[in-house]
Formats: sequence, C-alpha cells, structure tokens
Amino acid sequence: MKKVLLFLVMSAMFSLFYSCSDDENDNDVNNEVITPATYSFVRDGNSTVSYSGQTTRIEMAQELEGVLKDTSKSEEDLDGMFTNTGNKFSDASLNESTKNVRKKVAASKDFFSENATDGTAIKGDFDSWIAAQVNEVFNNWDNDASVGVPGKIQESGGGSTRYINSKGLEYNQAIIKSLIGGLMVDQILNNYLSPAVLDEATNRTDNDAGTLYVDSSGNVKDYTLMEHKWDEAFGYLYGLDNATAPELNKDKYLNKYLSRVEGDADFTGIADDIYNAFKLGRAAIVAKNYEVRDAQANILKEKISEIIGIRAVYYLQQGKNALSPNVQDSFHDLSEGFGFVYSLQFTRKPNSNEPYFTKSEVDGFISILSAGNGFWDISEDALETMSNTIASKFNFTVLQAGS
Amino acid sequence: MLKKISIILVAVSIIYACTSSEGEDTTSADNFDRGAMLINIADNIIIPAHQDFTNKLAALKGAGVNFTENPNQSNLDALRTSWYNAYKNWQHIEIFDIGKAEELQYKFFMNIYPLTVADVESNISSGNYDLNSSNNHDAQGFPALDYLLYGVADSDAEILAKYTTDLNSSNYKKYITDVLNQMDTKTQEVVSSWSSYRSEFVASTSNTATSAVNKIVNDFIFYYEKGLRANKVGIPAGIFSDNKLPEKVEAFYRKDISKELTLEALNSVIDYFNGKSYGSSTSRTGFSDYLLYLERQDLNESIVNQFNEAKIKINSLNNNFFNQVDDNNTEMIRAYDELQKAVVLLKVDMLQAFSINIDYVDGDGDG
Repeated sequence: MKKVLLFLVMSAMFSLFYSCSDDENDNDVNNEVITPATYSFVRDGNSTVSYSGQTTRIEMAQELEGVLKDTSKSEEDLDGMFTNTGNKFSDASLNESTKNVRKKVAASKDFFSENATDGTAIKGDFDSWIAAQVNEVFNNWDNDASVGVPGKIQESGGGSTRYINSKGLEYNQAIIKSLIGGLMVDQILNNYLSPAVLDEATNRTDNDAGTLYVDSSGNVKDYTLMEHKWDEAFGYLYGLDNATAPELNKDKYLNKYLSRVEGDADFTGIADDIYNAFKLGRAAIVAKNYEVRDAQANILKEKISEIIGIRAVYYLQQGKNALSPNVQDSFHDLSEGFGFVYSLQFTRKPNSNEPYFTKSEVDGFISILSAGNGFWDISEDALETMSNTIASKFNFTVLQAGS
Repeated sequence: MLKKISIILVAVSIIYACTSSEGEDTTSADNFDRGAMLINIADNIIIPAHQDFTNKLAALKGAGVNFTENPNQSNLDALRTSWYNAYKNWQHIEIFDIGKAEELQYKFFMNIYPLTVADVESNISSGNYDLNSSNNHDAQGFPALDYLLYGVADSDAEILAKYTTDLNSSNYKKYITDVLNQMDTKTQEVVSSWSSYRSEFVASTSNTATSAVNKIVNDFIFYYEKGLRANKVGIPAGIFSDNKLPEKVEAFYRKDISKELTLEALNSVIDYFNGKSYGSSTSRTGFSDYLLYLERQDLNESIVNQFNEAKIKINSLNNNFFNQVDDNNTEMIRAYDELQKAVVLLKVDMLQAFSINIDYVDGDGDG
C-alpha cells in the first residue's frame, strides 16, 4: 500500500514537473542539432536568411494602423493600404511593392487552401470593419456616443476619448488585433511551419541535396526553399525586430504582444522559448533533421497560440473589471479583446490539424460580444464564462492571464 | 524515511513554484486593534476634515453667488480667495475614496486636471451640457474654476468682461454656478453619508479585499502614488511621456500655488500615516502605530524619513511648477524620485507587514 502511495506521489510529481517544464526540453542538443546562439545562418560566407516580404507586409500593416483614426482619410484610402492599390502609402517603396496585406489574410495552406469560403468571409469581415470605421465612426467623430449611437465617448476621470460604433466597439482595435491572428499567426502556424509547405514539391530532396532555390527570374538564391519557408514564418514575428537579438515591441502586432505576454511574470520565458524554437528548427533544416524541425514547429504552435489565448482572456477580464460603474471604461479593453478572440480561429494545436477554437466557435463568441447593444449591456457573467471557456483549452488559468 | 521526506520536499517545492502567483489567504495574522485605528481615522481625521471642507465650500459657493450676481473686481477677488482656501482644503479629502465617495466617484467631479478647455468652452457656448457625464469629468470642479477665474482671458478687466459685456456672459456666469452647485451637491452627499456609514466603517476590521482596513490602506497608497506623486509631479515632469508636460500642473491658470497644493497634500498624507487628528497636534492610532506594534520601527522610520526627504525637496522648488518644469526640470525629477522612494516602502514593505494585498493594478499603457 505504501509503495502504491509512493508511486502515486511520484507520478503526480512527474506530471507536475512535466507541466512546469515542458518547454525546456530538447533546446540544447538533439540528434546532433545544436541550438545556435542567434538566428543567423550562412552558406559560403553569405547569409541564407531572408524574409523581406514579411517585413514589407508588417510595414504596410503599420501604416494602416497609423491612419485608422485619421479622419482625413477616405474608405478608399484605407482600403488602398489594405490591398496596396492606388499608391496610398506614404512610403513609396511600399506602393511599388507587389505584396499586399489583404491577400495573405486567412490564406494559409492548411486552413484555407481548400476552404476559400471561410477565407473569403474572413477577408470580408476586414473589408466591412474598414468601411464601417469611415462610415460609422469617422462620420460621427464629434458626436457623443450613447447606447445604439456611434461617436466619441470619454473614459471617466478625464480619461482617453474612444471612438466607437453603436455597440461600443472600436473598429480600429478590432482590425488590428484580428490581423494579428488573420495575418501573422495564420501565416506562421498554418502555412510556413506546416509540412505541407515546408515539404512541398521537391523541397525535401532539394534540401537534402543542398539544391539552392532558383526564383522565377532565374536567379540562384543563397538558400534552399525549405530554409526560406521557415524564415518566412520567422519574419512574420521578427520582421521589424533585430533577428540576432530580438528587442520585442517593435511593431503594433504579434511582436508587440509577445512582449506584453513576456512582461507578465506568469509567462516570463515565453519569448526565449519561441526564439529558441525558431533557431533550433532552422538549424535542424540545415542539418536535414526533420523530426527536430517538426518538434520545434509544434512548440511554436503551442506558444504562439498561447499569446493569442492569453491576451484574449486578459482583455476580457480587464473589460469585465471595468464594466461598473462607468461602462464606457470597458470599451477599449473589450475592443482589443474582440480582436484577440477573433484571432483564436487562426491558432493551432500542436500535433493536430485543428485550431484551439474553430471558426464557428469564434463566431459564437463574437455574436455574444455583439448581441443586442454589444458592450453597452454585456454582463460580467458572459465575459467570465467566455474567459473560462478560452483558458480551459490552454495551459494557463484565467487568473494568470487576467493580471 | 529520509528519502521520502526529500521526495515530499521536492514535490512541495515544485507545487510551490507552480502556484506561487495565486495569492495568500486573507486572515489577519496579528492582534493589532484595527478597530481603534478605524475609529481614530473616522472620528478625528475623516469626519472633521470633511466638516471643514464643507465650510470652505459653503464660503466658495457664497462668493460664487455674489460674483455671478454682481461681477466686479472685488467680488472676483473674494471668489478667488475662497476658491484657493477650498482648493487647499480639498488636498485633505481626495485621499478618502471610500463609502459614498467611492460610489459617487466624488473626486471625478472635483479635481480632474488637466482641464479640457475645449469642452468647457463648447459647454458654455451651447449652454447644453450634463456635468454628470464622464465626458465632462475634465470640464468641472476646481480646475474649471481655475480656468474661469484666471485663464479665461489675459487680464482681470478682460476676465470680468466675460461675465459682463460678453455676448455669452450669462452662460459664463451660469457655468460657474452649475460647477459650484455640482461640487456642493456631491460634497453634501458624501459628508451626510458619514453619519450612517461611520458604524459600518469602524466595524469593518477583517482582512478581506472589501474590508475598510484593506481599502483605506490601499486607497492611501493609491492616492500617494497616483494623486500626489504622478498627477502633481511626475506627469508634468514628463516621467511617463516622451517630453515634459508643464501644462499639466495642478492650478495651471493660477500658476503660483502648485507647490503649495502639493505640500498640503503631502502633509495630509504624513498626518494620516501618523494618525494625527485633523487640525490639531494630537496623534492617536494610525498606520505608523500599526507598524510599531508589528515591531517594524525600522520601516516606520524609513517611511517617516522618506516623507521628510520628499518634503524638503519639494520645498526647494519654485512656487510655480509650470516654471519649475520649464526652467529646470531636473530638480522637478529629483523631487519625483524622492516621492517615488516612499512608494516602494509603502506598496511593498508596509503592505507585506500588514499582510494586505494590493487591490489595484497599473494600466498597461496600451493606446
């Protein structure tokens, strides 16, 4: 009997130990692949790391973010930045680029290549939010908002003025926070880290043979296509950051919110976990060790999905705490929460083909947040239930995320 | 046996490491007479301070009536004087954000600055406004009067013209009246609530998130950190922004009393900490005594000394904080640093000694 008890204690200990440190395995040495000190890879003296297309798209998203509250802009101006048409960017090189943001929203191979229905519907959500920002919010910029009436509203105690729709939602926050999922997370987790993309066509044999990528103009690149795909995943997180020594908070999107989660003492270390997994996975491709590569992709799926889950719960909790006595004090947090909740459909459970929450589950959350008069009359219970539902699928508690 | 113990120790330490962020239990570990402390704070500090403030506000309101009925230089001077007296007195009130004051969000109607002048002017020109709307928290109270009595025009003659010959003079006068009535109404509600709230307050001695002891200790630290350190000194000095913001000082339009108001606020903090009766030199049970009871003379001394250091530093500044920040912000930042040193002592060490959890979080500063 005692031995059984001891065994139970030990297995409980093991599971505790495991849950405390499951992010610490195989970062150092694994099948002879060693985690390099930095995300820096060379072949014949030339860097093989390239993700300029991702940097460009983040820069486009940054410019869009900067004008979402600029009432001198028209719907056409904002759409022009979303789709890169009409030379709407202040940075001429962005206007000249062949890239655009919209095309890569809800456009991952794993989730949307055979589901254009959802992909198109999601792109349509962004289109409609942009249109509504101009038609509902810009057009009522100087009017006082109230229940069912769009306009401006000031937080209590001389706080910030928020510009909201008839339900209390700041469309600009919905757009920015939903893009974190719809663009960055979807492209990283469901596209570039997917074996369907990494191993597409002859990528694996080419990588095994060290065959370098030849682009459509016939230029021989310094990298194999598989290396490049991994870099493109990396670029959606670190595209405006320092690749060899990430500083974080270098954009208004995923890089910023990794920094925020890292800053919460309950999650400190996540930034290193993510950077290490990117480095080791890339080194594994160089070493032609695809098991290690895919193990790192799984770590990234878990950790990057967590950023979205944690921030969704964080803002729902902040909003819940601010509902009373001045309901308008909750609108900004709930608007950010709305976007992070929307982004949940782009997360990815490790070792699976599933997001943590499906599109229809997310649509359910969004309809709760938008029901009736929206944030004006949402209940604490509804926000608490939603927080618990979200946290229950992740490896964190509402308490940890909410503070 | 030894092995088993070590296994348990390891397990416990792992569990601890996994759950250390989940907070502590809420029972009070000591036998300090918290009730006596609350009685002293209610009867000798809060209630007399509010009573005095009521008198000052009645004088202010009376001067407002005289001025709006007869806007001349001598009535303007009298109104300014009573505004100044009441504003100084307010520095003893804002810290008590509990009971009715908390429920009404009393301070939001009294002293939110910087003022949004555009809102004040548009309210006056339209004549159509709701001072209970949060849109107008920064368009009323002492800061609105500061503007209306000192900043609405460049000279006294031009200021008086706003209330006499200006096309909108009746709306200007009405705004003064409405702001004063609003301050008076809210104050009456808070002051009268104490006659019934007192018994609930003094009996609320447990160590829970909603007990009076925990709330006033938290409110004390919050006021010191936000109302005093940040609003009066840190924000104008640019501690929380890329540039210094001298236009955010308290009493910006009157200009020369920002230091005095800050010192008054710091004195009220010090007196409250020591349990000193309002308007007298008698000291009874306060936070200081609680620390001494817990044999934390060291911490008590550090806090008292740090308050004094901050006071000395603030005293050395220009009477006009706008000028101080504008001319020599380094000294303003030094004063901030001295105030900040006490935040750590209060928010970490004192709360730990009292076994009280912090009940507010700093915003994440997200735009």
